[in-house]
Amino acid sequence: MRVIRAAIDEAYSVMAQMVGSVFRHGLPLTDKIAARTALTNFVLHIHPVRVRRSWIRMSYTLCLGGLSFFLFIVLTVTGLYLMFYYVPSTQHAYQDMRDLQFVVTFGGFIRNMHRWAAHAMVITVWLHMARVFLTGAYKKPREFNWGIGTVLLLITLLLSFTGYLLPWDQLSIWAVTVGTNMAKYAPIAGPYTRYLMLGGRAVGDATLLRFYVMHVVGLPLIGFLLMVIHFWRVRKDGFSGGL
Amino acid sequence: MATEARDRIAARDRIAAQRRTVDAPSSVRDDSDDEMIVSFPEFIFKEFIASVAMTVFLIIVSFIPAPLLGQANPGVTPNPSKAPWYFLGLQELLSRFPPLMAGVAFPTFVIVLMILVPFLDRNPSRRPSERKVAIILFALYMVIVVALVLIGVFFRGHEFIWNWGWVLGSPQSCGGAAC
Ligand code: HEM
Repeated sequence: MRVIRAAIDEAYSVMAQMVGSVFRHGLPLTDKIAARTALTNFVLHIHPVRVRRSWIRMSYTLCLGGLSFFLFIVLTVTGLYLMFYYVPSTQHAYQDMRDLQFVVTFGGFIRNMHRWAAHAMVITVWLHMARVFLTGAYKKPREFNWGIGTVLLLITLLLSFTGYLLPWDQLSIWAVTVGTNMAKYAPIAGPYTRYLMLGGRAVGDATLLRFYVMHVVGLPLIGFLLMVIHFWRVRKDGFSGGL
Repeated sequence: MATEARDRIAARDRIAAQRRTVDAPSSVRDDSDDEMIVSFPEFIFKEFIASVAMTVFLIIVSFIPAPLLGQANPGVTPNPSKAPWYFLGLQELLSRFPPLMAGVAFPTFVIVLMILVPFLDRNPSRRPSERKVAIILFALYMVIVVALVLIGVFFRGHEFIWNWGWVLGSPQSCGGAAC
């Protein structure tokens, strides 16, 4: 009996040590512990320690900026899973998509989630912009963060657009043909821009590789860096909450 | 316009007064909206709820299959050929105006204008009632964009010609070609 109790005690203390090594604080029973928690925990550290009650009313932000970021994370995770099975060449891409849909475990589900989350992100980012405009939150001293936001909106659109080509079905190549044809009309630079995007005169192997590289590395990297700066500025400019 | 200008002067005075008092300590706990509270757990909890709600939503919609048509075929052009929905506003403009204007000048203008908005809007107030002009202009912009996208998605059929019949996106309409 004593041996069993000792074993349970030991197991309990090992578990407590494990939990304690990750969370270096107890439950937030007092404001002081809560504040210390915020300083020592990473997830909390990227939040302000103290906020005005009016700032965190859901009716003010509608959580739209946060949801945009959350969708970005969902897209990163589901995107990684898709990358395990997808080869960006005109030979393989389409067959890989079919395999994802019909063969790979959870492949279809993850692909659907990636696709719908991407559409959702375009919408939440757009609505976030509307929220910022309607609450006048772009005014001094947040002019610069509004500018970064504008670039983030463009990057979100470009991420969606580059992803559109990757399934290599009739929908994707023609949508991208139409989309890149628009670039053609710029004076002088137009045709060159289109050539640069496509890696040729028509949508082909080079285009697929370029879009893939931008979709999985280039744009997410730039986007993530800008988001980091964006969040930093939200903190440093002070949140606008409360009209 | 005159009332807007008067509102604006009033707003400027009010905000200047606010700046003067902004450093006044407010350590009193009053349970009001202005009270400073520790963000953990209340704020974090709200974010958690929002992300759980979004996750549930995503899981539900992920049972809807994402479109996958026939393999890409550069020889067969579906008709109509449509850009992704968020670019359909642009495509719509392209079908109505000269390409240089609709495809280049217009989008560039909108992007530059957006970045400049905080500098063009000289009104310091953030109260909706004091920024009627800005809000009306923005609402107009939103309505135009949404209308153009909806037209592009639903009312453009074969040859991108107007069609009242709710042509659902490009997937279903490949102009009879095997897609
Ligand atoms: C990938 C896209 C974006 C992400 C992940 C993002 C994220 C965020 C988050 C989490 C906040 C904190 C407050 C809130 O949730 O509303 C915020 C604030 C802000 N965002 Fe964004 N944002 C994005 C795009 C944009 C865009 C397109 C604009 C405008 C053109 C913008 C302008 C701003 C401004 C000015 C603030 C400060 C608001 C305030 O103090 O009230 N952001 N953003």
